[in-house]
Amino acid sequence: MEISTLVQLLIGGLLLGAVYALAAAGLNLIFGVMRVVNFAHGDLMMLGAYVAFWLYTLAGLNPLVSLLATVPLLFLLGWGLQRWLVDRVVGQPPLMSLILLWGVSLVIINAALFLWTSNSRSVPAFSGGIELGGLSISRSRGIAFVAAIAITGAVWLFLQRSRWGKAIRATAQSSEMALVCGIDVARVRHITFGLAAAMAGAAGNLIVFIFAVSPVVGPTFMLKSFAIIVIGGLGSFQGALVGALVVGVIESFSAYVLNSQVSEAIVYFALILFLLARPNGLLGARL
Amino acid sequence: MIAVSSLRPTTTRGAIGLAVGVAILAALAVVPFVLPSYRTALFVLTFMYITLASSWNIISGYTGYVSFGHAAFFGLGAYSAALLMIRLSVHWILACIAGGLLAAVVAVPLGFILLRLRGPYFAISMLGLSAALQIVASSWTPMTRGGSGLSLPPTLNLVESYFAMALSMLVVLFVSYLIITSRYGLRLIAIREDEGAAESMGINTTAHKVSAFVISAFFPGLVGGVYAWYLAYIDPTSVFRPILSIDMIIMSMFGGAGTVFGPVIGGVVLTAIAEAFWARLPELHQAVFGVLVIIIVLFMPGGVMNLLRTRGLLPRNWRI
Repeated sequence: MEISTLVQLLIGGLLLGAVYALAAAGLNLIFGVMRVVNFAHGDLMMLGAYVAFWLYTLAGLNPLVSLLATVPLLFLLGWGLQRWLVDRVVGQPPLMSLILLWGVSLVIINAALFLWTSNSRSVPAFSGGIELGGLSISRSRGIAFVAAIAITGAVWLFLQRSRWGKAIRATAQSSEMALVCGIDVARVRHITFGLAAAMAGAAGNLIVFIFAVSPVVGPTFMLKSFAIIVIGGLGSFQGALVGALVVGVIESFSAYVLNSQVSEAIVYFALILFLLARPNGLLGARL
Repeated sequence: MIAVSSLRPTTTRGAIGLAVGVAILAALAVVPFVLPSYRTALFVLTFMYITLASSWNIISGYTGYVSFGHAAFFGLGAYSAALLMIRLSVHWILACIAGGLLAAVVAVPLGFILLRLRGPYFAISMLGLSAALQIVASSWTPMTRGGSGLSLPPTLNLVESYFAMALSMLVVLFVSYLIITSRYGLRLIAIREDEGAAESMGINTTAHKVSAFVISAFFPGLVGGVYAWYLAYIDPTSVFRPILSIDMIIMSMFGGAGTVFGPVIGGVVLTAIAEAFWARLPELHQAVFGVLVIIIVLFMPGGVMNLLRTRGLLPRNWRI
């Protein structure tokens, strides 16, 4: 392998990784606050991708502008899921919420199949490459990367600086103590799920620049996001970023050397290896 | 302990149960000879689902380690049995048993590795495993012929398939019964209720979990082989399809996970409903199953068996 190919694969992987990081940070946020694994996370990404696709196809809307629709729509959906369904099982064994959200995932996938068929959809708004010092970088990946970093950064600032962000972090540390301090923990949970769903939707909206997306991609995205937070460290926001870059790079190299299907299998094996050898991830706190 | 105080009613119920059981067995034995073949095929399918749901129940219902990827063992058994029949011309019965044994053998190291992970980690690792195996089956072209699948010489022997599936089902149900009525089964339930406490009571939790996992891997491998022989064609998307894992879970939970009859009730009711209403609309099937999952988790977490118990139609301590 030539060195320029190597660098190009590395950059391609890092760019894709940033989009995964956005989705995985959402999954991590829900886990951190509620100890719930959102099994429907990948399906929320899929919905975000379809919002971008339909706005682009029907109205010719620039898929970056369609984020303005994706984010509030998915926020509302996530808020509703938490308010009407997940709230009923918070505090029960984690498997109950997992199975519940898996039911939600089945409903979303099959509603999408029914409404939009199983065709793969893509948004070819940003084609071509950017020449950069002898390297050719895919324009769609570059744009998705910048947008993903900007959104992830905005969420991070929100969590660090705003009142609600602090309330979310306090609830993640100890929901009883947060309750005692006068934080409306129920609303924090609704906002957390809404925010995480909006992050998943935004990531889906960006990923459809890069890949074609069909209604059944959700579980694959969910597995990848889960692998990312396990590799990076559960409950750690920066961990999601590190894990996503690792997964993005693993994927882009193994897709080049073997093929893209096998690269998925390699991500799953990496997930299992990490769960066994380093269950706290690279940056995770002890659970 | 409880058995002593309720000895008489249990014996009467036992006698009635035995009579009903014999009657059902006799009725099942004549099914393939009196019913038209498409009805018999429906029975074959129902038996397969009951077997799968009961196998899942042994690890997930009894020990509480919920597997989201039990289709992995079904596909493993289907592929290895099919390859044995094609490459080595092994007799189909032996090939199916070999498929089950292979799934069980694979489950030993897998159990030691994955059963260290609790709750959602185990569930999702199993899902990843089954997805990874599907990828292996479709990529390892020299062995599996990839996506084009494996064709076996068509047998078209519905009666033999019927009895093979029926026998698999009866054996797994009998094994479930033996487990749930034994001290071994009590220890599995102790692990489900509180693994730390079970361990401090001196239960070797690893040995119990792994052995339950191995038993629960054998039967999907076995019926995977029967399925391959019966349909005479398999491909990665049919035998590793995630909906199989979903069906096992939903059938078991609907009837009542952790009981012997729960998966039977779930298998019969849901296969019948699926066939009657939406066999032609697969999306609707899965969407309705999704809604059902949500309803079960929110409103009837113990399934039908638990409803019967709480309504007093079954004794409160009923575990079968």
